Amino acid sequence: MLTDELKKGSAEFLILSLLEAESRHGYELQKLIESRSDGVLTFNVASLYPLLYRMEERGWIVGRWVEKSGERRKRFYRVTPAGRTALEAQRESWKEFVTAINRVSGVRYA
Amino acid sequence: MPNDRFDWHADIRARVAPARLHPQDEADVIEEVAQHLEAQFADLAPKIGTGAARARLLAQLQGPELDDALARRRRRARPTRSRTWSVTSFARDVRYAVRSLRRSPGTVIAGTAALALGIGLTAVMYSIIYGMLVKGLPFERADRIALVYYADPAHEDDQIPLADFLRYTQQQHTLSSLGGYFLGSANIAGGEQPERVTAVRVTSGTLEVTGVRAILGRTFAPNDNDPAAPPTAVLSYATWRDRFHSDSSIAGKDVRVDGKPYTIIGVMPDGFEFPRTSVRLWLPIQTATDTLRPGQGPGLTVVGRLRDDIEYDRAQAEFAVLSHQVGKDRVPDTAERRAIVQPFVRGFVPGRVYATFYTMLIAVILVLLVACANVANLLLDRAVARTREIGIRTALGATRLAVARQSLVESGLLAALAALVGTLTARLGIALFNSVMLDHELYFWMDIRLHPPVLAFVVAIAAGASLVSGLLPALQSARLDVNTILKDESHAASSLRVGRLSRTIVVVEIALSSVMLLVAGFATKSIANLRRVEPGFASAEVYTARVSLASRDTVRQRRFFEALERELTAMPGARGAYIGSGLPGAGWGIARIAVEGRPYARPQDYSPARTLAVTPGFFSAFGVSVRQGRAINAGDVLESTPVAVVSESFVLRQFPTGDPIGHRIRLGGPGSEGQWLTIVGVVPTLYATNFDMRNLWPPEVLTAFWQERNLSSASIAVRGPAEVAAAAPIRKVVTGLDAETPIYATATMTDVLAEPTWPVQVFGTMFVIFGTVSLVLAAVGLYAVMAFSVSRRVRELGIRMALGASGGDVVRMVCRQGAKQIVIGIALGFVAGAAVVRMARAVVFGVAPNDPVVFAVVGAVLGGSALVACIIPAMRATRVDPLVALRTD
Repeated sequence: MLTDELKKGSAEFLILSLLEAESRHGYELQKLIESRSDGVLTFNVASLYPLLYRMEERGWIVGRWVEKSGERRKRFYRVTPAGRTALEAQRESWKEFVTAINRVSGVRYA
Repeated sequence: MPNDRFDWHADIRARVAPARLHPQDEADVIEEVAQHLEAQFADLAPKIGTGAARARLLAQLQGPELDDALARRRRRARPTRSRTWSVTSFARDVRYAVRSLRRSPGTVIAGTAALALGIGLTAVMYSIIYGMLVKGLPFERADRIALVYYADPAHEDDQIPLADFLRYTQQQHTLSSLGGYFLGSANIAGGEQPERVTAVRVTSGTLEVTGVRAILGRTFAPNDNDPAAPPTAVLSYATWRDRFHSDSSIAGKDVRVDGKPYTIIGVMPDGFEFPRTSVRLWLPIQTATDTLRPGQGPGLTVVGRLRDDIEYDRAQAEFAVLSHQVGKDRVPDTAERRAIVQPFVRGFVPGRVYATFYTMLIAVILVLLVACANVANLLLDRAVARTREIGIRTALGATRLAVARQSLVESGLLAALAALVGTLTARLGIALFNSVMLDHELYFWMDIRLHPPVLAFVVAIAAGASLVSGLLPALQSARLDVNTILKDESHAASSLRVGRLSRTIVVVEIALSSVMLLVAGFATKSIANLRRVEPGFASAEVYTARVSLASRDTVRQRRFFEALERELTAMPGARGAYIGSGLPGAGWGIARIAVEGRPYARPQDYSPARTLAVTPGFFSAFGVSVRQGRAINAGDVLESTPVAVVSESFVLRQFPTGDPIGHRIRLGGPGSEGQWLTIVGVVPTLYATNFDMRNLWPPEVLTAFWQERNLSSASIAVRGPAEVAAAAPIRKVVTGLDAETPIYATATMTDVLAEPTWPVQVFGTMFVIFGTVSLVLAAVGLYAVMAFSVSRRVRELGIRMALGASGGDVVRMVCRQGAKQIVIGIALGFVAGAAVVRMARAVVFGVAPNDPVVFAVVGAVLGGSALVACIIPAMRATRVDPLVALRTD
């Protein structure tokens, strides 16, 4: 089971990754994280929105109300250039971290 | 599957509200989270059931992490509730109002002038009321100075006899000092010229009640009232300065009063006036009181100062008990009288004076309301002209309050300006009023200026006026509907509504004005009546004076007056010289009379008559001829049969069928010891004024001056050209006979007759001013409304004329609309006016309060000027070129 600290530290990384390809709204993000992690990582409104708003505050992502015909408007988040830079940096450090862990623990990719 | 949907917004709003985000941010958060929960619920409910799903999601909302999310959203400060009312926005409104008012100087001038007139008149009226009825006596803690008098509706006399006064002094405990006085006059001799001055006889407590000390020496002590004590006198500052050259060692010296030496014991400070403005001398009452019983002794006006811990009701209660006891011992045992203790001014000024002055205040407030109505209409016009502007402001987010406030700020600015101008106007008005009042003493304490409370009153009424005149336009602006305005190119819909309001205001204006004009009309007719009065005797070329002898020796008195009559008659050019107890017109005496041989069971059976003791010269000096019998002649002297000449009004009352000549009458009520007088002649009824200006043609009795026993003072009248009928020649004759005898109360007979009518003249004139101002304001107001309404209807009128309506048709149509308002307004005004006229009875003289002529004239004047105010804009409308009219929007 993933510890809370680990989850918190990795959550921003996960969100940025998910938004890299296309902009998404809050519930979509929650469901994607849950399904792609096979239920290991779970979020709810109380844990997701503080993250989103903090990231928006930092200027990594931007939320915008988008109106599609026949639907209610929804708030979609997309990654900003600053967000992309941050994502790259996190990917790098994550790789380094994983490599280091692997070397130390002897776990190998199959 | 049941499609259970919950509205999450309320739950989230409850969670979010305490964070007090900016409303925009708050709405965003709520919407976003609600959508999230809704979607999640839709997924979750089929799996775990709706109840469990909802419970789980609600639990999420309670998590403390959300607070962090909300903190991230606090990017903007939430606007404070008072934003519309902040200083900056108010300043912006003021700036905006100044700018927009500056663009229409017409509105500013018209509005300010109207309000300034209204505020000015109100300020003048209130300063009069304040100086006369509210401020009180000019002494320290004046509200504690009480007047004590007898309530006695049956008799006119409310004074307290000296003996009663002494009983009260001994037995009362609620007043810290108590004094009584009566006014009189005295001859001061010595120095350059003998002089007749106002002198007050006082008990020792009187000056103490005022709390004012002498600047030199002392005031009276109780032993000064002892009949055996050497007579003493207190001088007024003016007497001390003018007659004694401000001699600082005056105390202890003598002054000759009525031929006797009085020791001066003190001098009062400059400006001390009590109980009249012109008092020059205070003398102690030195009546022997040992044998007096209640009801006896000279009648006093009684003043007292309330003890610090006592209120008026306590003092009143005590005096009610005391007067009941005193009443038991009274001689003659007439009806018991109840003593009243009241604040001095309240007790001194008759209720009808209060009523008159407060009616006048109501009148000027009506004028002010008319002015407010004008300003309201001006602002309404502006509001209509600015309909689109207001619509755009509202569309851009201005609240209704902000829009309404704009109108109030404008009216407030106008009112502030008007208050300034009005205060200056009031200063002029007060100066004018004071200069008129210089010749008439009404109340000695009157001090009419712009006292601070008066200024506070001005500020209050200006604020009130700005509210009254700004509120309607403000509400109207706020009610405007944005959509209608922005779509409506012609303003037709919006201005129609405002038009109805304007017309209602005009109806009210006309109603108020007709109230004012009615009162003014009655006042005018009263003044005209007074001027037209035929007194029944000549007043032109007649000069009058009064003379009082110091000597108590009746033989010397008679000899003096006989010589005086001879000398006056012998003056070259004199066509008549009169000596008598008083002057016809204002100087009649009052007596009850009895006709010989008739029963008089009760005191009220004796009927009242006005009396005058006259020399034979009366008939030549005043040009009065007898209708029947003979005049009083030189043969009617002390030794011959006492005679009387009566007026026709007297005959009508007492001898409606028979011949009065030869009947005998007696002056005085029950117990009179007067002589029986034989009626020898009848004269036409002569004019007799009084303070009330009621019953000006009463029954009258002329008696023979030379048959009077006591001739200490008399009125003189000389008829002739200005060289003899004047003060100087009369004074020369009098001082030629006795150097110590002054003449006083010198005046032409015309002035003597006019004097008692001054309240009607002065206050009537004020009502006329009020009425005229309100007429002008109402006419201008009506004109403005009609002009505005016509200008709004230019297009319509153009179409009508293009379709063949004649100029006359258009004028008639416009006027018909105005006429309805005029008629309704006048009708309403007449109903209210009839009531107000009855309240203002003091200025109505010789006119019935329902006099149809006044109503007709007022209706015609008001209707006429209102119609003119309609016709001018209507005429202008007919000159409109239909082509131009159709192009106007």
